[in-house]
Amino acid sequence: MRFSALKSLRTFLVAALLVMMPATGMPAPSEYQIKAVFLFNFSRFIEWPNSAFPSAEAPFIVGVFGHDPFGAELDEVVKGESVNGHPLVVRRVDSAAEAAECQIVFIHQSEKLRLDELLSTLGNRSTLTVSDLPGAAQRGVMIRLVTESGRVRMRINVESARAASLTISSNLLRSAEIVSPNGGGRR
Amino acid sequence: MTSTPIRRKLMRMLLLTSGIVIVFTCAMFVTYEVVTFKQTLVRQLDILGKAIAQNSTAALAFQNPDDARVVLSAFKADPHIVSAALYQESGELFADYPEGIARNLLPAKVQPNGYRFEGGHVFGFEPVRLNGKVLGTLFVKSNLSAIDQRIGLYALITAAVIALAVLLAYLVANRQQSEISGPILALAKTAQAVSEHHDFSVRAQSTGAHEIGVLNDAFNHMLTRIQQSETRSRAQMGRLSLLQHITAAIGDRHDLPSIFQVVLRNVEENMPVDFGCVCLYDSANTTLTVSTVGAASRHLSGALGLNAGTVVPIDENGLSTCIRGRLVYESDTRRLAFAFPQRFAVAGLHSLVIAPLLVEASVFGAFVVARRATDAFSSGDCEFLMQLSGHVALASHQARMHVALQQAYDDLRQSQHTVMQQERLRALGQMASGIAHDINNAISPISLYTDSLLEREPNLSDKARSSLGVIQRAIDGVASTVARMREFYRQREPEMTLALVDLDAVAKQVVELTHAKWSDLPQQRGISIELHMDLAGKLPGIMGAEGEIRDALTNLIFNAVDAMPDGGVLTLRTFSRTGPAHSSLVGVEVTDTGIGMNEETRRRCIEPFFTTKGERGTGLGLAMVYGMIQRHSAEFDIESDVGKGSTMRIMFPAYTQPVMAAPRPTDGHLPTRRLRILLIDDDPIIIKALEDALAGDGHVTVSASGGQVGLDTFGAAMGTNHAFDLVVTDLGMPAVDGRRVAEGIKQRSPRTPVIMLTGWGSRMIAEKETPPFVDRVLSKPPRLQDLRGALRELISA
Repeated sequence: MRFSALKSLRTFLVAALLVMMPATGMPAPSEYQIKAVFLFNFSRFIEWPNSAFPSAEAPFIVGVFGHDPFGAELDEVVKGESVNGHPLVVRRVDSAAEAAECQIVFIHQSEKLRLDELLSTLGNRSTLTVSDLPGAAQRGVMIRLVTESGRVRMRINVESARAASLTISSNLLRSAEIVSPNGGGRR
Repeated sequence: MTSTPIRRKLMRMLLLTSGIVIVFTCAMFVTYEVVTFKQTLVRQLDILGKAIAQNSTAALAFQNPDDARVVLSAFKADPHIVSAALYQESGELFADYPEGIARNLLPAKVQPNGYRFEGGHVFGFEPVRLNGKVLGTLFVKSNLSAIDQRIGLYALITAAVIALAVLLAYLVANRQQSEISGPILALAKTAQAVSEHHDFSVRAQSTGAHEIGVLNDAFNHMLTRIQQSETRSRAQMGRLSLLQHITAAIGDRHDLPSIFQVVLRNVEENMPVDFGCVCLYDSANTTLTVSTVGAASRHLSGALGLNAGTVVPIDENGLSTCIRGRLVYESDTRRLAFAFPQRFAVAGLHSLVIAPLLVEASVFGAFVVARRATDAFSSGDCEFLMQLSGHVALASHQARMHVALQQAYDDLRQSQHTVMQQERLRALGQMASGIAHDINNAISPISLYTDSLLEREPNLSDKARSSLGVIQRAIDGVASTVARMREFYRQREPEMTLALVDLDAVAKQVVELTHAKWSDLPQQRGISIELHMDLAGKLPGIMGAEGEIRDALTNLIFNAVDAMPDGGVLTLRTFSRTGPAHSSLVGVEVTDTGIGMNEETRRRCIEPFFTTKGERGTGLGLAMVYGMIQRHSAEFDIESDVGKGSTMRIMFPAYTQPVMAAPRPTDGHLPTRRLRILLIDDDPIIIKALEDALAGDGHVTVSASGGQVGLDTFGAAMGTNHAFDLVVTDLGMPAVDGRRVAEGIKQRSPRTPVIMLTGWGSRMIAEKETPPFVDRVLSKPPRLQDLRGALRELISA
């Protein structure tokens, strides 16, 4: 409970920062601050199959593959949270094998070269792949984060997600742009 | 029409009641509907808000206002939603609906969760949650035109329902009210008919068993009671007016038969009854005597055996109850075994009422009425008869009182008349007394001289002697007449001087004295009365006052003569017989063959002042006779037959004791010694006569013409050799009268005898009124023998 309260307060503070900064003249939240919240929110709008977890008490691992642009931001966001009894943890991974143990893995645009290897390693594993690498969705990444005119947008490769047995909430889908691997996209 | 108000009232009441119920019901319904609809509206809004909020989570979570607007645009489906907005958790407006709406139409900041109505709108705030975490707030605002539409619809329906219900209520009420108002109006109409025509025989129609039916029945019952009591009142009024009529009719009548006749006629005609009679009660014999039978009842009298004068014995039956003062009503005479009711039963009269005639708690008669029918007298009839008998009794009583009063009044008038007559007699008597005195004075000298002549003149011729004798008898007659005249009017009873009386002698004297009455006067009128004397002779003596007996006999003879205006035989008889207890009676009777007396006259003849002779009679004759008879303890017997004559008989007890010889005046011829006598009288003729008479006997007389002169003369002679031996004085003299002379003489010489001569003398003697100081009273005219006797007694004493 205590954690939850603190968490709510923190979330509130972040949101307040995000929204009120321009009005108050305070510095707007950084791009990766927002993306960290996005990562956390995905755990809310997407359902993982039970097979994604080695056990009922196994942690829900948010992995950062390779370069970590978040710093402590992401840790701050997920701290104390859990999904269906699985406590959320942040793990920096550097290998595809390590990434395969995560439920969500963020691939920084700087890891463009290792992307294909990683994706092939993950295969149809139920690991949500998120990246801000341009053209990532077309390459098989499930969700690509796009920054347009200062706002973060999502492009979702529904087929990749479905292949990974992940169920994405229609709410999320409505707010995102859906793309297909062959480069087609829709909003 | 008078029926309108109750109809209208009932209608109004019913319509008002149903109207109120309907309006109230509709109001409740509409209120409920509106409230429910509002709740529904809020719930719908809530559900919608929640759905939209749910759909907005991703938009909020991933900061996508465009998406949020899309989500909000779903509100287009509900045209009543006027505005909506999404706020971030920080309160910042995130998305609006409709897009681009003026900011001032949206709330500036987030308000507490929930929905509220304000200013014709309903609005609410709905949190947007994801996994329990609040992402933002949804604002929704809807107008209430839905409610307004709903209310309008309801109003329309309600109005229609009310109109329809009121119409139905009117139709039903109009039909139903006649069930209530109909009987009430009929009842009212009946009551009106009763009060307008005073006809209590009409009845309200019965309308069943409910309350109005009960009311009708009660009304009818009341009418029946009123009708009965009205009938009773009329009967009572009739009886009262009959009673009043009868009372007025008998009020002017004063004789019982007439009263009874009037009462019976009225009762027979107006009550009516088949038979009526009035009986009078004879308490001595305890019988009722039929006094009067009603005129219309007489044909039944024979069958009943009740005619005027019929005597009905009273036994222990209804009659005795009546005689004790109670009204008796026999409803069926055939059931009664007593004789009196049986008479009525036999005569076909089956109801009988006997009412007592009561005056001052005593019954003097009974009022009997009967009817042919059985039990034909109501209690009202009995009451009426009781009252009537009370009035009749009172009227009868008054009639009797009236008769008694009339009698008393007549008696009083008679008494007044008598007293006046007596007064006249008294005046006459006083006058007669004076005349008698004068006559006595006048004849005194005649008497004295006649006596002197007859005695002292031996040489008188026989004829002269005879003439003088006649004169002497005439003088005696005059004296006797004058004396009787005085006796007649004297007022006080004389003291009786009893002496042995020989009735035969008295009878003879009376016959002589009354000769003129029975012989001379009738002859003058040309009628003849024959006198028979039938004297017993040698009768035993009786003790009595001879004068009274003589007067009584004189009266009887006068009456007998008066009773024979056409002449007849007058018989005077004396007798003796043996009375009760071996006593001996001596009687005298006077019989005439005259007109006789009827019963009333015979009964009343001894009453003072009762007379059959009109103005000629005083009505005192027989009364005086009766007074004498009572004083002599004698008996009086009257036998009389009208037209045949009367016999008056007086019977005295005989005197049986040895006869004591009454002091008889001795023969006055013996001379006394020569006396010196003073004569005092204011009448010189009497003085002269006395002087001559006394001088003839050898006495010496000195005369004085008045009282004072006499006393002076007497005084002057006292102590001398010619003093007076005796004084003779008159009573009535001017200045000094006889009494004062006598007193003066006795003062000077108590032993000198005084003889008083007076025209009143015999009366004084009879009344023992010898004045003081007087030794002897001699009445005028003085007889020489009496004078001599007095001188001899007084001088020798």
